Amino acid sequence: MEKKEYDAVVLGGGLAGLMAANNVADAGFKVAVVSKVFPTRSHSAAAEGGIAAYVDGNSDPNDDPEFMSYDEVKGGDYLVDQNAAELLSRDSGEIVHILDTWGAPFNRQPDGRIALRYFGGQTYPRTRFVADKTGMALLHTLFQHATGFDNIDFYNEYYVLDIVKDGNNVNGLVAMEMKTMDPIFLKSRALLIASGGLGMIYQHTTNSYINTGDGYGIALRSGVPLKDPEFVQFHPTGLYPSDILISEAARAEGGILKNNKGERFMAKYAPHKFDLAPRDIVSRSMTIEMREGRGFEGGYLGLDLTHLGREYILERLTLAYDAAKTFANVDATKEMIPVRPAQHYFMGGIDVDITGVNSDLNGLFAAGEAACVSVHGANRLGSNSLLETLVYGKETGKTMVDFLKKHKNVESSDGVDTIVDNAYSYIKRETGEHFGTLLNELRDVMWENVGIFRDEKKLTEAVKQINSIRKRSINMYVTDKTTNYNTEVFNALETRNMIDCSIVMATAALNRTETRGAHFRDDYPTRDDDNWMKHSIAYLNGDAVEIKYKPVIVTKWKPEPRVY
Amino acid sequence: MKVAYYPGCASHGIAKDVDIATQLIAKDLDLQLMEVDDWNCCGGGFMDDKNEEIHTSLNLRNLTKVKEMGYDKMATPCSVCLNSHKIAVDKYDNDPDLKENVDKKLEKAHIEYDGGVDSEHFIWVLIKDVGIENIQKHVKKPLKDIKIGTYYGCQLLRPSNVMGFESAHDPHSVMDLVAATGATPVSFPLKASCCGFPLMGSNPPVGLKMANNILSDARNNGADMMVHPCSLCHLQLDVTQLKIKDQFKQDWTMPIVYITQLIGLAFGHSPEELGIGKLTAKYLRERGFA
Amino acid sequence: MVEEKEITVNVKKYDKEKGEYWKSYKVQADRYTQMTEVLRKIKTEQDPTLSYRASCHMAVCGSCSMKINGEPRLACKTMAFTAINEKNEVNLESMDYYQEVRDLIPDMDTFYDRMYKVEPRLYADQTVISGENDERMTPSEQKEVWKFEECIWCGLCVSACPSVKEDEKFLGPAAHAKGYRFMADGRDTKKEERIGILMDSAWRCTSCYMCYEVCPQDVQPVIAIKKTKAYVDEFPGTTELITMARKHDSTIAESIGESGKIKESKLYLKTFGYVAAMKDMMYMMKEGKIKYAMAKDTDVKNMDEIKKIMGDKK
Repeated sequence: MEKKEYDAVVLGGGLAGLMAANNVADAGFKVAVVSKVFPTRSHSAAAEGGIAAYVDGNSDPNDDPEFMSYDEVKGGDYLVDQNAAELLSRDSGEIVHILDTWGAPFNRQPDGRIALRYFGGQTYPRTRFVADKTGMALLHTLFQHATGFDNIDFYNEYYVLDIVKDGNNVNGLVAMEMKTMDPIFLKSRALLIASGGLGMIYQHTTNSYINTGDGYGIALRSGVPLKDPEFVQFHPTGLYPSDILISEAARAEGGILKNNKGERFMAKYAPHKFDLAPRDIVSRSMTIEMREGRGFEGGYLGLDLTHLGREYILERLTLAYDAAKTFANVDATKEMIPVRPAQHYFMGGIDVDITGVNSDLNGLFAAGEAACVSVHGANRLGSNSLLETLVYGKETGKTMVDFLKKHKNVESSDGVDTIVDNAYSYIKRETGEHFGTLLNELRDVMWENVGIFRDEKKLTEAVKQINSIRKRSINMYVTDKTTNYNTEVFNALETRNMIDCSIVMATAALNRTETRGAHFRDDYPTRDDDNWMKHSIAYLNGDAVEIKYKPVIVTKWKPEPRVY
Repeated sequence: MKVAYYPGCASHGIAKDVDIATQLIAKDLDLQLMEVDDWNCCGGGFMDDKNEEIHTSLNLRNLTKVKEMGYDKMATPCSVCLNSHKIAVDKYDNDPDLKENVDKKLEKAHIEYDGGVDSEHFIWVLIKDVGIENIQKHVKKPLKDIKIGTYYGCQLLRPSNVMGFESAHDPHSVMDLVAATGATPVSFPLKASCCGFPLMGSNPPVGLKMANNILSDARNNGADMMVHPCSLCHLQLDVTQLKIKDQFKQDWTMPIVYITQLIGLAFGHSPEELGIGKLTAKYLRERGFA
Repeated sequence: MVEEKEITVNVKKYDKEKGEYWKSYKVQADRYTQMTEVLRKIKTEQDPTLSYRASCHMAVCGSCSMKINGEPRLACKTMAFTAINEKNEVNLESMDYYQEVRDLIPDMDTFYDRMYKVEPRLYADQTVISGENDERMTPSEQKEVWKFEECIWCGLCVSACPSVKEDEKFLGPAAHAKGYRFMADGRDTKKEERIGILMDSAWRCTSCYMCYEVCPQDVQPVIAIKKTKAYVDEFPGTTELITMARKHDSTIAESIGESGKIKESKLYLKTFGYVAAMKDMMYMMKEGKIKYAMAKDTDVKNMDEIKKIMGDKK
C-alpha cells in the first residue's frame, strides 16, 4: 500500500479544515488535506446568510462582544461553554479582517466598509455577507488561498476509511483514492477531523448529499466520544418539497411566516422577536401550526417576501428567489414561498475543548460542524456556523502547531491492513443487504422518532430499530465489483458511519430527560438545570452506547428563562 | 410591408452577395427594405472588447436613426450586427454606470436615444412577419432531394436571454426555412458552434481549424450542401473554402450559401442573380438546381 | 396531491471493463423532482452501480455537471419534467471534452489545472495585512468582483468551449473569469502580472458566448475575457497573437473613426500584411468573389456624430 508521511492530516476541505490547514502550513509544517470531494464542493458552500462578527469600528455603536457572547449563550439555552462563546465573539472581528485580506468579496457599505445585517437571535446587527452565497464565497476564498502553499497537498476525491492509531496516539489515517480504488496510508502525528455534519441521516435535510457523518463514524470506531449528540437543529425554512435551504436572510431582510389563514403566527410564540426568534423555537412553532391544521395541504407554511419589493428581493435575496423559482416554480416577488422545517445542523460533535483538542486520543483534533466545542450548546444561532468554522479552525490550527513542535511522528504502521480489509469486506461479500434499503429505513426512523418533537416511546422505538438496522448492516454488500470510481463501495461505507452516528444520537436523546434548545421532549417539556446543565459525552463500545458527562463551563451568565 | 434594414459593413463588402440575395427575395415577398439612414458600423465583436461605451453608443446611434425613420424594428442579415445591437441595448438597460457614460457621449453627439426599437435578424422577420406558408407559396423550383446542413453559428442564438428568439441549444429557425424551400434539412452536432471567424484577427490557424470542423461535421452527417445565417460566417465558411481545402488537405469542398440565397434558388433565381460563388454555382448546376 | 408520472432515464454508462453503453431506467417523478433526486432514486432503489457526482443539490457546489439531452447542465438545477421530451424520456451523458472515468463522472483535472494557472488568490498589500491601513472597496467594485467570483468550478463552460478543444494555450472561460475577478479587485497588488498571464490567452477566445449560455451561475466568462482584452493597449508586453490583434483592432478603430464603417480590404492588408493578403486574394478570385473585395461602400455622412462618439479615448 502506498504510504505518504505528513506532519498533519486534515480530513475535510471545507472552511474549518482549510482554515486550520492554512495556519499549520503557514508555520512551515507539511499538511495533507483529504476530502471525498473537490474542496469547493464541500457543504460550507451551502451556507447562505452570512457570518456574524463584532468588528471594532464597523459594528453598531451600542454593540459589544459581550452582548454577542450573551446572545450565543442564551440562544444555545445555557448548554454553551461560555468561555468558548467569549472566544468566538472576541476573535470574530479578526476573522473578518483575515478574510478581507484573502480576498473575500463581502458586500459593502457606500463608504467602502463591509456591510452588515440582522440575523435571528442577535441583539444588534452583526452578520457580514456576500449576497446570500456567503459560504460559497468564503469557501472559495479559503481554498484559493490554500492552493498558494507548496506545503499543502490536496487529496481530493479520497475517501477516509479509518484512523490509524499507535497505542493511544494518532498515527494518521487510511483513505482510498476514489478514481482508482487504491488505498493510501497518510501517516502523521496530528489529525484534524473537519469533515462536517450528518444531515443525510434524516429524510428531510437541507444538507448536501455528502453530509454522511464520516468523521463522527471514524472517531466513534477509534474510541473517541461525541459530545451532546442529541442536539440537532431543524431549520424553519426548508423549501417545500425539496428541502433546499431558504436562508434565514429571507426573514432577516423582512420576510414573514404565515399560516393558511394568512396570520403572522410567530407573534404568538415570540412576541418580541417574531420570525427572527432562534431556529428551534420557530421550527417548533411551525410544526405546532401544521399539527393544529393551520398549514397548507401537503404540509407546509408560507414565507412571504412580496412586501419587500422586486428589486430588493432580487438584489439581496437572489439565491432564495432563484431556489423558489427553479425548484418550486414560485415567483417570490409575487407569491409566498412554501416552506417547512428540515434537518439543518448537528450541534453535537467530536468532543474537543476550547483549543480543539480531544482528550481521548493524543494528536486528535476536531473543528467545525464535526466538532463540539461547545459554542452552540442546545441550539445554534444563524451566522454562527461559518464563524465557528473559521474562529475554531484557526484556534485549532494554532494548537496543532504547538503540538507538532513538541511531538514527532511514530515509526509503526500497525493496523493499516485491517482497516483496508474491513472496508473491502463489503465488496468481497456476494449476498446480503443493500446499502440503499438500510439507508432509506434509517432516514425514516430518524425523521419520525428523533426529530423535532421527541418522547420516550418514540426514542425507545428508534433505539430498537437502529440497533436492528445496525445488525443487518454487518451483512451489507456491494454489487458493483469494478475498480474505477466505485461509488457503491463508498455509499456502503458512508451508511456504516451514518448508522453508528444514529445509534449514539438516539440513545443520548432518550437519556436526556428534559427539554433544552433543539432537544424537545413532549414528556419532559421544561429545562431542568438542576439535573441536566451538563454535556453528554457518548462513546460507542461495540454494540453499547456509554454516556458520561462533562460540566458546562459558566463564566458570566447564570441560566435564565429563554424568552424571545 | 416595410421594414428598416441594416446591411452591415460585410454585406456591403466581401459578403455583398448576402445583401444581393436578401434584397432580391425581399422584393419577391413584397417586403420593402428601407436602408437605415446614414448607418454606421456596429463594431460587433471588436469595439465591445475595446471600449464598451463607444460600442454601445455606436449601436444606439443606428437605432436612433431607425426611430427617426418611423420604425420600431430593424432587420439585419448579419448575426454579428444583430448580436451587437441587442447586447448594446441590454447593457444600456441593465448597467446604470455604463448608461450614464453612454448618455454623456450621445449628448455630445446630439443623438437622442429613447429606446423603442428592436433589432431582429432578417430570418426572424421571414418567419414571424412573412410566414413560412407565404414563403412556400413563392417557391417556384422546390429544392427536392438535396440535403442541406443547417448551420446557426453563435451570434444568432447566444446569449439566448438577450437574443430571445429561440432555444440556443435546440434552434429551429434555419431548419424551418430550409424545409420551406423543399430541401431536406440536416442537423449536425456543431450546428451552433463557432465558425472561427472572430479568431481571424488574432489567431487565424485555430480560426480556420474551427471552420474546417464545421464543414467536416456537416459533411459527416450527410449534408450535400450547407446554409448559414450570417455575413461573417459567409466570409469564414464560403469565401475561405479553397483555403481550407488546401490547408487541411481535404479532397472535397462543401457548397455553402447564405440562407436568402437558398430561398432565392427555390424562388427561381439563378446562382448569378443571387451572387453565389463559382464553386457552389457549379455544384448546383451539376445537381440540376440551376 | 402532486401528480406523478413515470419517466425513462437513459444513461450513457462507462467503465474500464465494459467501455461505453446505454442503460435505461423507469422512475416516478413529479413537477418538483430534480434530476439529482432522479439519480439518487435510481442508485438507492434500482442500480447501485450508477455513478455520478452530487453534493449540495442547490447549484452552489458545481458537482453534478453533465450533459442532459446533449445540453451541458447541472443535474440539480434541472427539473425532471422540464428535461423530458414528448416521449417522457431524458438522456444523460458525461460532459464533453473531459476524459471519462465512470458513467457520469469525468476527470476534471485539466479544468482545475487551468484555474490554478491564473494564481487564483488575492495578494494584499502588506500594510493592509498588518492592519496599518484599512482597505475599502466601493459597492460597485464589489459587484464587479463578485460577478466573476460567483463561478462554482463546475466545468460546464470548458466542456462546451470550442476554443479549448482546439487550442491548448487557451486558458478557457472559467479561468479567465477567475483571473479577471482579481484584476478587477483593487485590494490586489499583482494586477500587471495578472494581465501578463491572461492577455495572450484572451485573444484565443472566439467570443461565441457558449460559456455565457451554459453557465449555471450567470458568470458570463466571455465578458471577463472582453474586459481583459480592453487592457491590450496599456499592457507593455506582446506575443505574436497580441501583435496581430493590436494591428487588427487599431485598423478597425481607425476605419470606423475615418468613415464610420469597416473597409475590409484595407483591414486585410494592414492585419495580415501584403503577402498574406495577396494569397487570400487568389483564393477569392478562384471563388469568384474578388469583385466584392474591391467594392467600395459609402462613408457615413454625419461623421461629426461618429467622431464625437469615438472622440475621447478611454
